[in-house]
Amino acid sequence: MSTRRQGWAGSSATPGRGGRLEWCRVLLGARLGLCLGMILLGAIISAGCATSRPQGPPLTGDILVDGPRQIAEGPARDRVLWQYRTAAAAMRQGRFDLARSLLDDALLTLQGRYGPDPEARKARSLFRPESVKPFLGEPYERSMAWIYRGILYWRQGELDNARACFRSAEFEDSDAEEHTYVGDWVLPDYLDALATAKLGGDPSDALRRAGEHVRGATLPEPDPSVNTLIFIEFGPGPVKYAAGRYGEQLRFRTPPSPVQAARVTVGQVTVTAAPVDDVGYQATTRGGRVMDHVLGNKAVFKESTDAASDAAILGGAILATTGQGRKSAADEAGAALVLAGIAGKLLSAATVPEADTRAWDNLPRYLTFVQMRLPPGEHTAVIEFLDHSGRPLAGRTKTVHFRVPAHGRDTVLFVSDTSTTPQTQ
Amino acid sequence: MNRTIFCSTVLMGVLVWTGCASSGVKNPSGVPVTRLNPDEQGFVAGTGIESQDLVAVADKMARSILAIPQIAQAPRPPVVVLDPVENKTRFPINKDIFLTRIRAQLNSRAAGKVIFLARDRMATLERERNLKREGAVTSASDPNLQEFQGADYFLTGTLEGLSTRTRAGTSDYILYTFQLIDARTSAIVWEDMAEVKKQGLEDAAYR
Repeated sequence: MSTRRQGWAGSSATPGRGGRLEWCRVLLGARLGLCLGMILLGAIISAGCATSRPQGPPLTGDILVDGPRQIAEGPARDRVLWQYRTAAAAMRQGRFDLARSLLDDALLTLQGRYGPDPEARKARSLFRPESVKPFLGEPYERSMAWIYRGILYWRQGELDNARACFRSAEFEDSDAEEHTYVGDWVLPDYLDALATAKLGGDPSDALRRAGEHVRGATLPEPDPSVNTLIFIEFGPGPVKYAAGRYGEQLRFRTPPSPVQAARVTVGQVTVTAAPVDDVGYQATTRGGRVMDHVLGNKAVFKESTDAASDAAILGGAILATTGQGRKSAADEAGAALVLAGIAGKLLSAATVPEADTRAWDNLPRYLTFVQMRLPPGEHTAVIEFLDHSGRPLAGRTKTVHFRVPAHGRDTVLFVSDTSTTPQTQ
Repeated sequence: MNRTIFCSTVLMGVLVWTGCASSGVKNPSGVPVTRLNPDEQGFVAGTGIESQDLVAVADKMARSILAIPQIAQAPRPPVVVLDPVENKTRFPINKDIFLTRIRAQLNSRAAGKVIFLARDRMATLERERNLKREGAVTSASDPNLQEFQGADYFLTGTLEGLSTRTRAGTSDYILYTFQLIDARTSAIVWEDMAEVKKQGLEDAAYR
């Protein structure tokens, strides 16, 4: 402090006390202004640079137009997100080859996520939002990618690769904070059992796991002789939103589904299928993430820095006022406190604790399936989506024409309440 | 006051630096093409089945097969058919790639000791034979004779996995077993295995 006082004294070599005081005031004002200007300039430059992140091309509303364009031209961090979305949309339009290639690429990215990732590291820094990380999805989203790919493998007749995908779907759900809900998808385990039975293995273990987790539906014994599988999905999937003072808490909301079940009619056979898996349940029962702690720490830093800055600015202003413009230490300390407070405010403002709410937003709420043993030849399936009272919902009935081969691979149909109709699969 | 200005300047520098770092351009100068040997692990790696595993496993199996008496001391080259491996892991793979590499290695290193049948080309071969039988194309021998060979042995395998996932990371163990099965007696005349275990942990941003 004494050094600073000497500095003040040395810089005030002006004749006369009143003139010197005035000069000091001018100098103080000029330097303070200069400092504030520099800080503001820094903040502006910082903000300017922050907006230079690549943005995707404009959206048209048609996912099969937007998706490929976003994948090709949009931000790399959203590539997997658009691959997921586009694949789901392609499956609902019967474009299974497109879905397969998109999911293959997305799952390759997903499997290579181990080790240090500079982009992901940025998401953990104070001054970047979580959404700067390349999107891979929350575990329920990753599981759904595997489930879709498994269905596509089954369509190709590769039962063991389909089973591998269903096992990976369960694996993505195997590290929840809430251990009660670890690996509790039903459909992947049941399909694992069915594929194993068809391959001549012992399905009992996977079947037992599926039976332990199923709610509100009855699982049939795996029958290797079934030759037609119909996968059905319906209802709107979970929605992500940010809660907490700074949006640092990732939360999920599951919109109500008007569809509660599906009824499949093929020829004279009619089967009603209740939901086997609830994607909303999977999204909301995992508990916290490690990243939630990181975001929580960011929020605490932001809040405490802001509070401390308020105190510094207020304290500095009081000090400067009580100094009454004399060349006192109070003036100097007050100015320094105000500056520190402003700097703290900038730091607090620059801290971004918001959770990443990018979501695979065209996922369904419910998954179910129907299995049949049909004679070889041409068939037509009519799928009605039923409301709470079991009545078909108007405008949602789908028709799928398909062929059961005499020998060889199973016939696998995929139908959503948002599928195009009629389709030939 | 000078110190205050200094601190402010440093702070501004930090803000500028942190702001510009978010420009979102990764590897702005690009990444040059890197050629790797298939038996080495590249900078892109997962815990699944990768080329270095394929090379190591196929090499081991090819050497092992050549050493067995049924191959090494056979009076005539045994005829082998590849039967696709069964994948019991959690990783979808191109199942043919293991047997294809083993076959290619056996054919290249021990030419003539083993004969492989192209059963995966049967549709094409049958079409060609029928054209010869119909006289649509020429034939060097009597096309009405049945000359498609039967197998002495089937070469097949199984991939099995054991996976663990905790907050500490992901661990995948994969056991590769391959068998040579006598087509006449169903006896397994040779079997060998290889095992690979991998562990990894993703960035906390994904946990």
